[in-house]
Formats: sequence, C-alpha cells, structure tokens
Amino acid sequence: MKKILLTSMLLSPALVFANSATQLEGSFKVGPAIILICILVLFVLVGIVFRAKDTADFYAAGRGISRVGSGMAIASNWMSAASFLGMAALMYGYGYHGLAYVIGWTGGYVLLLILMAGQIRKYGKYTAADFIGDRYYSQSLRVVGAIVAIFISIAYCVGQFGGIGLMFKWILGIDYAWAVIIGGSVVLTYTLISGMLGVTKNMQIQYIIIIISFLIPLFILTYKFDYFWILPQIGYGALVSDIVTGIPVPEIQNMVNSFGHDFAISPSPEYAMPWDPASGQTFFQFMAIAFSLMIGTAGLPHVIQRFYVVPKSSDARWSVVWGLFFICLLYWSSPVYSAMGEILSTNKEVGKLAKDAIVVYTAQLGNVNPLIVGLLAAGGVSAAFSTVSGLLVAGASAFSHDIYVKVLRPESTPKQQLAMARYGTVLMAIIVSLIALLDLALIGQLVAIAFSLAGCTIFPLFLLGIWWSGSNRAGAKAGLIVGGTVSLIALVYFIAAKQGIMLPAHEFISYWLGAWYFAWIGAPLAIIFNIIVSKMTKETPIEIKKFLVEQVHS
Amino acid sequence: METKSDNYNISFFKPTTELARINRNLTIKLLLIWVIAIFGFQILLRIIEKPTPEPAYIAYKQVWDKIKSENASYEENQVFLKSALSVLGKLSVNTDDKIILDKIVSSVSYKLIPEEKKENFINEVIEFNKIKSEITSLSDNKYVVLKTAITSEAASFLGVKDYSLEAKLIPFELIPENMKRIDIQNNELVEGVMSKYLIHNQSFLTDFKFLSFPFHYFYTAVFLLILFVGICWFYCYKTDKIHEKLGIEA
Repeated sequence: MKKILLTSMLLSPALVFANSATQLEGSFKVGPAIILICILVLFVLVGIVFRAKDTADFYAAGRGISRVGSGMAIASNWMSAASFLGMAALMYGYGYHGLAYVIGWTGGYVLLLILMAGQIRKYGKYTAADFIGDRYYSQSLRVVGAIVAIFISIAYCVGQFGGIGLMFKWILGIDYAWAVIIGGSVVLTYTLISGMLGVTKNMQIQYIIIIISFLIPLFILTYKFDYFWILPQIGYGALVSDIVTGIPVPEIQNMVNSFGHDFAISPSPEYAMPWDPASGQTFFQFMAIAFSLMIGTAGLPHVIQRFYVVPKSSDARWSVVWGLFFICLLYWSSPVYSAMGEILSTNKEVGKLAKDAIVVYTAQLGNVNPLIVGLLAAGGVSAAFSTVSGLLVAGASAFSHDIYVKVLRPESTPKQQLAMARYGTVLMAIIVSLIALLDLALIGQLVAIAFSLAGCTIFPLFLLGIWWSGSNRAGAKAGLIVGGTVSLIALVYFIAAKQGIMLPAHEFISYWLGAWYFAWIGAPLAIIFNIIVSKMTKETPIEIKKFLVEQVHS
Repeated sequence: METKSDNYNISFFKPTTELARINRNLTIKLLLIWVIAIFGFQILLRIIEKPTPEPAYIAYKQVWDKIKSENASYEENQVFLKSALSVLGKLSVNTDDKIILDKIVSSVSYKLIPEEKKENFINEVIEFNKIKSEITSLSDNKYVVLKTAITSEAASFLGVKDYSLEAKLIPFELIPENMKRIDIQNNELVEGVMSKYLIHNQSFLTDFKFLSFPFHYFYTAVFLLILFVGICWFYCYKTDKIHEKLGIEA
C-alpha cells in the first residue's frame, strides 16, 4: 500500500501528461527549459563568486581545495555527453559490446595514474604541447603537438555538440540542425563568459548536478518496475537476466510504459551475451575498443592538463582515485538506463528511437515526472557544457599559447593573446557545429575517435618521454609520423564511407582500422618506431636526461 | 662525457635508484593484475564460449525443412511462426532482416487463416497499414479497432492469448502483398537471419548468476570498475608509504 501511495505521489503529474509523453519529442517544454536556464545561470554566478584573481590563480585553482574536491573536478571535466548520454546509447544499441566503452573509459585511469600522473605534475608544464616541445627539444614538435591537441579537441567536441543538439531538440521541440546551431551558440557564449571564472569550484557543482540528475530517475524507475531500487546499480542485475530470459505479458496488466504497453519483452540474450552476432560486433572489436580507449584516456591533453594544477604529485595521484570513483558512480548507473530502455521501448508502436537520447526517452517511457525528466535532460546539457567549455578553452589555448605566442608572435601583448584565444574559441565552435550537423555516428563513437587519435599521437610521446630518456627528437618525429599516418588512413576511410565513397580495400581497412579503435595498432607502431629511430640517431641531450632524473623521477 | 650521460639514463626496465626499482616492481604487479582482469577474462570468455541456440531456434529447426517444402502441418506452421516472431520481438533486429522475416511470416500466417476469413483478413491488414502511416495519435479509434481485430485473429491462429507478445506483434509484421505468394529466394535468407538472432555465445560464465546478474555481465559492468578504483587506491597508498620510508617529499 505504502509503495502504491508513494508511486502515485511520484507519478501523478506524469499521468496528467501521459498524452504528451506519448509524443516523446513533442513541442517546447517550459519546465525543462527553465531548469536548464537556472542551471546555466547558477554556473555563471558560481564562477563569478569564485572567479580567479589572476592567471596563476586560474592555473592553480586546485590548490585551495581538498583531494575529494579535486576528484570531483576531474570527474566533471571528464563526464561529457558521451558519458551521460552516449554510454547508455551504446549499450542500448550493441548490448554487451557497449561495455567495452565502460571499461575503456575507466580502465584508462589506472594507466594514467600508474604511468603518468605524478611524473606529469613533477615535469611542471601547463599544456601537452609544452611538454612535447620541451622534452623533445623541438619547436616544430611543439607546433605539431598543439595542432594534434586542437584536432583532438575538435573531434571530442563534435560528439558533445551532437549531445547538446539532441537535448536542445528535445527541450525546444525543434529540428536537430537548428538545435545544434542554437545549442552551439549558447555553449559558445557560456564559454566566452565563463572562460576565466572559478573553474574548479564550478566543476564541483557541475559534478553534483550531473550525478544527482542522473541518479534520481534511476531510483524511481527501478522502484516503479519492482527491482531492487535501494541500489539500482546492483538491482538491475535481475533486469538484465529478465531481458535474457524474456518477460511474458503479465495476466494482470499493472506495469506499463507511457504508451500503455506492457512491461514485457521477448527473450533477448543478445543484449547480454558477449560479441553476439546480432550486435554485428566481434571479439576483436571489443578488445580493440577497450584498449584504444584506455591508452587514449592516458593521452588526452585536457585530462593530462588537470594534473598540472595540483600542488603536489601525491595530490595528483589521490585526485585520480577520487576522480575515478566519482566517474564510476555514473558508469555503474549508465547500463541501468539502457536495460530499462530496452524493455520500455520494445513495443513496435514506440518506433525507432534516437539511441543517443535513450536516457531521456527511458525516463519518459517509464512515466517519470516530466520535471525530473527535464532535470535529467538539463544534466545532460550540463555534462556536455562542462566538457565543451574546457575543450574549447584547451583548443584555443593550444592555438594562442603554443602556436601564436611561442612560435608565430613571441612579442605579442597579453591583449593580443587574449583576442587570439577568443577568435580561436569562436572558430573552433563554428567548425565543430558544422561537423556535428553531419550527424556522422553515435556520440560515444565520435568521442572514441578523439581517444584513438590521442592514443596514436600524444600517448606514445608521453609514455616514452617520461619513462625512457633514450627517446629523442628524431624518434618522437618518427613515432608521430607513423601514429599520424595510421590515424589519417582510418579517418579518411571513415569519412569517405560516410560520404558514400568506397575506397580500395574498404572492407578490410574499415574493420581492422575502425574509426573508434585504430589506436590498437597505431599506438604500438608509434612506440616501436619511436624506439627504433631513437636507437639509430643522436642521443637525447644531457640536460634533458638530467632534468628527468633530478626533477621527474626523484 | 659518455659515462656522465649514462648516469642520467632513465629506463623503466633498468631502474638505477631504490625508488625507481620499488616503483617499477609495484607498477608491473598492478599492471599485470589490470591486464589479466580486463583482457584475460574476455579471452577466457572467448575460449570457453559455445554457440548456444535459444529454444525458439531448436523449435524452428525441427519444422524448417517442411516449411520450406510447403509440407508443414498446421501445428508446424504455428511453431515456425512463433519462432520467427520471437526474433521479430527483439529490439536489435535490423530493417533488412526484419523484411526477410516479415515476408515469410506473412505467407505462413495466411496459410493458417481459415479459408472463409482470408479475404477479409487481408483487407484489414491493408487498411491497417494505410491508417498506420496516416494517424497522428495512437489512440485513433479506427487504428485501435483494426489493430485489435488483427491481433485477435492472430491469437486464434497462433493458439495464444490475445494479449501475448506474439499476437501483438502480428499487425506490425504482415506485408499484404507477400501473404498470398511464397518468395523462394527470400526463404533461403531466413536461415541466416534465424541463426544470427537465435544463437548466442554462452558458457557457464554467462549462465551462472551472481547478484541476479549473468556473472560475466556483473564482472565487466560492475566488478572491473570496483577493481580499477581499488588498484588506484592501493597504488596511491603504497606510493605514499614508500615515499615516507625513503624520506621523499610528496
């Protein structure tokens, strides 16, 4: 009785909106729009209150906060639309195969911590290009590093803009193309306003909003459909087993989705069984994706950059532990949405749903209160905003700091540098919007491209740069050329196929060098070539070796 | 000069200081656990897996030859239809495969309908498909009436309840133009589709339940993440202790 009363209290507004819920997209949604605006205003206000007093304060914003707080900032920086929306979409579309992304995006933090975090902090540079330029004593490598960082930021942002577009489409009830343009404009404005505000404090608040908005509907959904709701991250185990064995239509029909369809499903073992033929994905692809995402995680410039701003290397290490824990809270929860969405959308009348919006659709189909669904959608936008603003700033910094100031115009004034950073931000936002309009793939897959790119280029440079003083400038260039070539081949084939052009050996290349996992071979090859060429050429200068011994490994 | 340069060599595999040696050993141990836990488990799954058919596939295989040669009895046609519908009820069926199955489901369904109802049934299906593409609301009266009529008829020729999943699927799978004719070429494709969706890679690790999860799913989706956090925590804890022991400032 208590359960029925509580369910009624939670869901009564949803029943009122039952008709509109059947139109999953629908028209302009006032409640979610207000929630979204409030959240964005909150971020800006928090940024103003905790704004950085100067550049040093901006870079070292983490010094005043605890390791837990720093971990929240890492998690917020990390949790993008790919985590919030894309993860569930991948599992909804590919079942067990989607878990390759879950373990790839979390397992990479182990590599990052054990192999790099503390050493990167000790090296004491501000950007990835700075490190590459200094460690390999090469201005041209610095420029290439900056260009690669820009490409990675763009690739990463495309997926985020896709997510922003989908959520704006849902909230505003407009076309995807307009949603991307409007959403892109809003995130650009937000980035330009909040660029120098209290970033770390904001990230902590963003994390709390993102995780709360993500978890609340889960408790409601598992409670409503009679699973162990106190801990949905474990409770959905029975749901996965139910999908495998199938749920027959109950004699008494009391559990229905917002269309009035039974909570029932045909036996669907393909959802949970590994590399199932029905998913169209193989064992090799599972392994290649997991591996590529892991090394990509340890090579992403905006992730690596977080370790420069903590005061001590031990803080850098512990912030990874907390950061990973906070990230896992979301990644443990994401499969619940996909499993619940699987059953709630199985009826043919629901139609084909955009996989990337399945998190929101699942909450809608489960008749969750529209305001809570609105909060969920706003959480998705926040996740994308927090990452995009960081990526746009990182990409623009790579252009203004690493290319314009360090190479093109060392004599430029701070005002000119700031102007260049702003132009860079606007230009990147335009490029990203245009690519996002093409709607090339799922959000998670688009973001995975950035990971493979980072895995093939930046990861080998950092790994060898930190752990082997024998790696020299020529080796770095050779490795970068090999990693870059593999990336280029994979991306050219991917883009050509999307445009309907089948290049020679299309099947072979598309399978073995898939756009979301080409780092499985690109990274090892880059490392091998780096080592071979380094062995064959003039050794690393003594000053660099000395710095590594005395500063980085002492 | 060369000797001096050698003194400053850093190599993960050839540590020159006590700290580097301890760190190397700790790193190798943790990375081994990490690699085996992630990739080792998936390789194990791959090694022990066996293609395991669903009950629907076994039932389909028993009647398929007769269906193909059009010698199937009424009950055998029912068995086949239920098997095909158990595939069509899956969310993962792609459009091409759905069309292949829809064609054969349409022709087999037609055979099961009593002679005197055949014409009327086809007309209902044609009308339903037309309305389906026009309606703006799922509560449209004509749409609901036709859907209910087709579902009810399907339930009777399938030998199931009106509200069963199979009966509810029928209105969305029938192609009127394929009901009266057999597409031999299409039938040859059916075998591939059925095995694609009804045979799965299973083993005792996928069949064993842990906390109600299929064990392998729990391991990958839940346990590995716990392990990652645990490895990170242990590494930090040990590193702090080592630094403390060696008197190194953090």
